Formats: sequence, structure tokens, C-alpha cells
Amino acid sequence: MKDMMKITSSLVVMFIVAGIIMTSVFARTAPIIKIAKEREEKEARQKMMPEADDIIEAGKWDVSGKQGKYFECKKSGETTGYLISTYGKGYSSYINILIATGKDMKIKAINILSHSETPGLGDEIEKEYFRKQFEGKSLEQIEIVKAEGTDKIQAISGATISSRAVGNGVKEAMKFLKEKYTGVTD
Amino acid sequence: MSYWQLLKNGIFGENPVFRLALSLCPAVAVTNSVKNGFLMGIAVLFVQTMANVTTSLLRKFIHPKVRIPSYMFIIATWVTVTDLVMAAYVRDVYAQMGLYIKLIVAFAIILSRSELFASKNKVVPSFFDGLGMGTGFLLALVIIGFFRELLGRGSLWGIPIVPTKPLLIMILPAGGFFAVGILMGFFNWIDMKFFGGKGASGAGGGH
Repeated sequence: MKDMMKITSSLVVMFIVAGIIMTSVFARTAPIIKIAKEREEKEARQKMMPEADDIIEAGKWDVSGKQGKYFECKKSGETTGYLISTYGKGYSSYINILIATGKDMKIKAINILSHSETPGLGDEIEKEYFRKQFEGKSLEQIEIVKAEGTDKIQAISGATISSRAVGNGVKEAMKFLKEKYTGVTD
Repeated sequence: MSYWQLLKNGIFGENPVFRLALSLCPAVAVTNSVKNGFLMGIAVLFVQTMANVTTSLLRKFIHPKVRIPSYMFIIATWVTVTDLVMAAYVRDVYAQMGLYIKLIVAFAIILSRSELFASKNKVVPSFFDGLGMGTGFLLALVIIGFFRELLGRGSLWGIPIVPTKPLLIMILPAGGFFAVGILMGFFNWIDMKFFGGKGASGAGGGH
């Protein structure tokens, strides 16, 4: 009984001290992280649509249990394209993707904003050679295949699930944009 | 043991990967390029050293019956603090290393050094033991990463050396096992041939 009290008190004291340390570090860093993240997101948007002089948040949309945002990109008052952030359910995380499209609903570029996929395998989705495959494609053309040398999007070897997740996320987002802005439903 | 010997012990005598065969999971998972191995190694070096120092400071206070959860808690605290501080103050480094840091909580080598060394030794030797073990782990990951990236991708630190991918399997998990196994055998061979050792002793067998 005495032993049990000792064990309990030793653990409780440790947990309280560690809890205080972690809470205080969290309280100090959380606002800094939030501001930095917002700034990075804004910069990422501008980079995806360099010619736009105004990027306006147009609303939020739901994708695989998460909420993405979409933006209208304007140049001297006229809409030239759209930006949409979407999520794909990957191997070990939600992959946050930002897509830039023109008014013709063809993908201009995609960018991976955040994910926690396997280092060394899944994180290859960030690489340019994978992302570049999406460029110029429209909704119907997005398909992830394992084979080499097709005009489809080739999955990364060793990271098929992560590749598919990006493909699905992009597909959902394109479908949403198409319905929203061209009124076409298929 | 002198401090220098403690350092050397972690790097050669009881190298976490090649001699103790501990933390092989990250040694296989993140070493398909030199850069990944290096970043993970740096993160482990820091957490290993800090966890060793903290465990040693608290060694009289930690109740022996609940020592493992206590060590885990120390490690988790340090990993969380590192993760948050890096996310807030060094964003560009964090963008590269963020993936790896959270994984460290579950590394066998860190828990193993808390149990085998830091809980029985004073703070300064524990510090050097952590530094040595962390450096040994870092070096092992860089060596494995060197061969895997060179053979699997034909590049080093992301810079292309040859235009083809000579042995693609080396960057896949299976290639990681090959690389670790062959290098471990090589280290054993050196040890037996030149230093009269008996080969890898397995986790904590030297104690």
C-alpha cells in the first residue's frame, strides 16, 4: 500500500511537471505557428497564381471529412482562374493539396501544402516530377495508374496509396469547381 | 570510462544500428537518401542527449516499478517541445524535418539508453553517452543512406551522379534490409578480423 502511494505520487508529480512544461511551450508557440502558417498559405496562393492581382476567398467546401477553401483569382477585376485547397486520405495522413486552374477548368499546377506520409516513400508526392503530371489535365483525364509511359498519371513506385490519395483529392476538387462555376453536373 | 571512451562506445563499440541492432525500423524507413538519414540523425542526436540528461537527473526520483512509463514520458515531453519550438521558430528547417521528429517517441535506442545507462549514471557521463549514441545513430543512417541513394537513385544529397537508377530496389523497404544487413555484416567482419571481437552482441548484451 505504501509502495503504491509512492508509485502514484512519483508518476503524478512527473506528469504534472511535464504537463506544465508542454502547456507553456504550446501556449507560447501556438500563435507564432498560426501566423506563420497563414503567411505561408498566402504566399503559396500567390505563387500558384502569379499573374492574379487579387485572390478572394469564395467559400469553403467539404471533402473527405475535412474542409477546404476555394478562391477566385482576378486580374484587373476579371476572373482568370480558381484556386482550391483539397484533401486526400493518404497512407498515414490527410494530404492537403492546393490546385490552380484556369477558367477552362484545366489544371495549371498543383502543390502539396502539408501531409505526414512515410518519409522517403510517400513524401515523394511533393516532388515536381509527380506534380507536373497533373498540369494541363481536366477532370476526365485524372487517373492514377501504375504502368509507365501512358498519358495518365503514373503513381510513385512504393507509394501507390499516397499517389492515389492526391489523385482523388484533385478529382474531388475539380468536380466541385466544375459544378460550382460551369453548372455542369455529370 | 572516460568521456572520450563513452563517445567512442556509441559510435563504434555499441553503434545502435550496426552493433546493438536497435531502432532498425527508422534505419530502414528513412534512409533511402542521405539527406533524410542525416535530418533524422540530427533529431535523434538531440532527443537522445536531452532524454539521457533528464533521466539521469531524475534517476533517484523515478520509482523503479514505473520506470519505463516514466522514461517514455520524458522522451515524449522532449519530442513535443522540440516539435513545437522548431515549428514556431525555424519554419524552413521544420518543413524538412517535421515528418521525422514525431516518430522519435517510439525509438528503441533512446528508451534503451535511458534504462541501461542514464538511470544508473551521473549527469555528465549520461550526457556523453547520449551524445555518442546519437552520433553513432546519425553516422549509421548517413552511411546506409549513402549506399541506398547512390545505388537506388544514382544521386547523392539529391544531386544526380549517374543519369539512371542502377538498382531501384535499394530505395524500397526491401533494399533497406539488404543495406542494413550487408553493412552490419561488414562491421562485424572488421570487428572480428582486426579487433578480435565476437561480432554484434545484440541489444544491451554488453552489460
